[in-house]
Amino acid sequence: MPAGGYFGQALVVDVTSGTSRNQPLPDSVLRGYIGGSGLGTWLLCQLGTAGADPLGPRAPLAFVFSPLVGTPLTTSAKFAVVAKSPLTGMLTDALASSQFAIAGKLTGHDAIVIDGRAPELSVLLVDGDGIRLTSAAHLAGMTAADTDRHVRGELGRGWRVAAIGPAGELGIRYATISHDGRHAGRGGLGAVMGAKNLKAIAVRAAAKVATADPAAVLAAARDLRERSFGPATAKYRELGTLANLLTFNAISALPTRNFQAATFDGAAELAGPTAGNVAGDAPGDIQGMRRVARSSCASCTIGCEHIYRSRGGKQARVEYENVFALGPMCGVSDPDAVLAASARCDELGIDTISAGGTIAWAMECAERGLIDAPWLRFGDSAALLRALDEIGDRGTPLGSLLAEGSRRASRTVGADSASFASHVKGLEMPGYEPRTLHAMALGLAVNARGADHNRSGAYEADLSGDLDRLDGGDAHVAAAIETEDRAAVMDSLILCKFLRGVFTDPFTEWAGLLSAVTGWEVSGGELRETARRIVMAKRVYNIREGWQPADDWLPDRLLNEPLSLPSGRVATLSADRLRAMIGSYYKMRSLDPEGRPDPATVDDLGLA
Amino acid sequence: MGTPKAALEWHGSTLLRRTVGIVARATNGPVVVVRAIGQDLPGLPEGTLVADDPREGKGPVQGIAAGLAALSGRAEVAFVSSTDMPFLHPAFIRRVLGVVEEGHSTDVALPVARGYRQPLAAAYRVTLAEAAERLVKQDRLRPAFLFAECQVETLDDATLKRDPVLAALDPDLDSVLNVNTPADYAAARARPAPEVTVQLFGTLAKGSNASGPHVVRAATVGGAADALGLVFDRHVTAALNGDQITRDRTTPLAAGDTVFFLSADAGG
Repeated sequence: MPAGGYFGQALVVDVTSGTSRNQPLPDSVLRGYIGGSGLGTWLLCQLGTAGADPLGPRAPLAFVFSPLVGTPLTTSAKFAVVAKSPLTGMLTDALASSQFAIAGKLTGHDAIVIDGRAPELSVLLVDGDGIRLTSAAHLAGMTAADTDRHVRGELGRGWRVAAIGPAGELGIRYATISHDGRHAGRGGLGAVMGAKNLKAIAVRAAAKVATADPAAVLAAARDLRERSFGPATAKYRELGTLANLLTFNAISALPTRNFQAATFDGAAELAGPTAGNVAGDAPGDIQGMRRVARSSCASCTIGCEHIYRSRGGKQARVEYENVFALGPMCGVSDPDAVLAASARCDELGIDTISAGGTIAWAMECAERGLIDAPWLRFGDSAALLRALDEIGDRGTPLGSLLAEGSRRASRTVGADSASFASHVKGLEMPGYEPRTLHAMALGLAVNARGADHNRSGAYEADLSGDLDRLDGGDAHVAAAIETEDRAAVMDSLILCKFLRGVFTDPFTEWAGLLSAVTGWEVSGGELRETARRIVMAKRVYNIREGWQPADDWLPDRLLNEPLSLPSGRVATLSADRLRAMIGSYYKMRSLDPEGRPDPATVDDLGLA
Repeated sequence: MGTPKAALEWHGSTLLRRTVGIVARATNGPVVVVRAIGQDLPGLPEGTLVADDPREGKGPVQGIAAGLAALSGRAEVAFVSSTDMPFLHPAFIRRVLGVVEEGHSTDVALPVARGYRQPLAAAYRVTLAEAAERLVKQDRLRPAFLFAECQVETLDDATLKRDPVLAALDPDLDSVLNVNTPADYAAARARPAPEVTVQLFGTLAKGSNASGPHVVRAATVGGAADALGLVFDRHVTAALNGDQITRDRTTPLAAGDTVFFLSADAGG
């Protein structure tokens, strides 16, 4: 009898043969890795072939649920997609939300792992009757949203669909997997799914799962719901993450023109409050865009999704990261263009951060004469949209080059273009300037997924006021580790990180939730150990796949080009400082000086 | 005055807290407070070093010696300040420090401002600690004895104000005004707090509080929040001049500062 919230098994599907089997998941594994990102890491270590090509048939793709999915706990309807990344060659774990999580889990499995390559473009169906593969030939080239609609229309009520867009089919290395308009976005999971010849996976609930203490779960859910309406989530609820753009601009933390600057003259055009002089302006509107709707994932009381329509008529979900990457990063301040670019990324099914980062790198290459594309210039809206189109169908040599991501593209272009390719481990940088956020600089450098703001929230320490964000040292290292550990637990439980501010004693509170659901007596201390185990397991997986110490590093530009701040201070992140912080990180994580765990630690992870 | 100078209140802070904060901002380095053994000090920001002055009543050179000794190995140049200068401006400190930092042969940058030498608003090479200590042992307690042993560059009003930033932000060189008598203190308290600019970001900019900029008078970050009716609680932080971020209400402000109030949940 599995613990509450679990089925105690993963479904392992071989799409080459169209067969499946159940892999038992013992309590020791579930308690040690929880679910979501943690359990996905364990599954990848177990089921993946070391050194496999991430776009080959022997690289598994895992959809992983969690014990909290299906409970009334707010923000818990989430799932993780975990695989070896075609961008980084290391582990990537992306989260998405909503009904797919609930229906997927209630197929009777804590995870669905896909291996092999289907004989033709297919849809994988999973429900109480087992698995089936159906032809998706008629869906080829379709957007993920249209695919979702078509498949659900064909299958009928109760089915939930995760799909790839044309980019996944074409193997664009930063293609996403999408459900209900939300993306498992980072690391190229859509390309992995496309390489399996899967256009979509459709799931339908067939089972029920009990919690150990339903009354306690309900009480916790009511309490969390109340707290989710408070000031800790106000930003997400009232403005969305786009509010970060002006804030980061004010504190010189907004990467601009491929990290050539940390402030952007056009920030107010993209995110400034309306001047109130346009008929129909309302609270929440910003200068170039009008908010037309707000929505939320299933089981969420925050409602962070803000849908905007530009004055030119384009409509898209607007978040900080897509506006940063397609706006300031590319020097574009035209809201119409940024919304159009965002919408185009959604249609293609590509990660906006990697798309923007790669195009920004290409713009700099073009301006330096390293790429023969004189039309590709910073600040040119038409160039941004044209570049996306060329990437989207790999229809030109430039499009094919940029579809590989900035690291691979810079190796092709050569010269010194690698020095300003803004990535870590091959994953393009999110919108956090490491030179003015030193804790985050470390978080970005050492994270298993690459340059990532969701697995390391170290920027919280930089922005807390508790330490000097321009003077990274051991306090920054400790803070970065703490946020990495918290993320490991939240991404495994799974709870949305936008909820993190409501917890005053997070590990203890999370342990309470997990205990109520599973029936285990979990303490905050145990969850801290679990966090470390998950972080370490990701590192062990990466080492197995070829990680080297030089992979824990930042792009040269960030270490060699100081930034002058309006205050008169100069923000510098030297190689020596970064090296010292990484050394401290390794020491505090009980790793050797080259970042590797000792054999006893690896044994304790239970990965073998 | 009935209260130690360090603890005197000025627009919501103590003179010592204010001085430490202003010096910290201008130097980006460690700040040392020299006190008599056992002397109670008002609250100080985390990271402030406190050095005990082993010999009381020996005058400013003894204090300079103790402070410079405490900074040995931590900094090359120090700004030495008394604790009773409520109008001390970071631009003044930067101007004076710059003279020693950029002048390889200069040991002391000594302002001669508003008609007086200002040894307690001056910059010193930290290596002068030994000479100062020796002079105290010899009972030669006047700063002039120390100046006689090193290379001093004096800075008159006009020279100081060649720095356009200082000229704009502290045109009368009020930085060197100190509080020696109850009348001085009363006069200082009668002067308004500095004029600063405040901007609100994210969810803080709503209702009656538009994002700004708002020009207010406030001597501390907390005062700036109060001026706009903003509750400066755990959900709010402040970025000073787009640089350092703080949750400390007592962080001092100086004329011309800009304060950005941010939601504490900035980030993804």
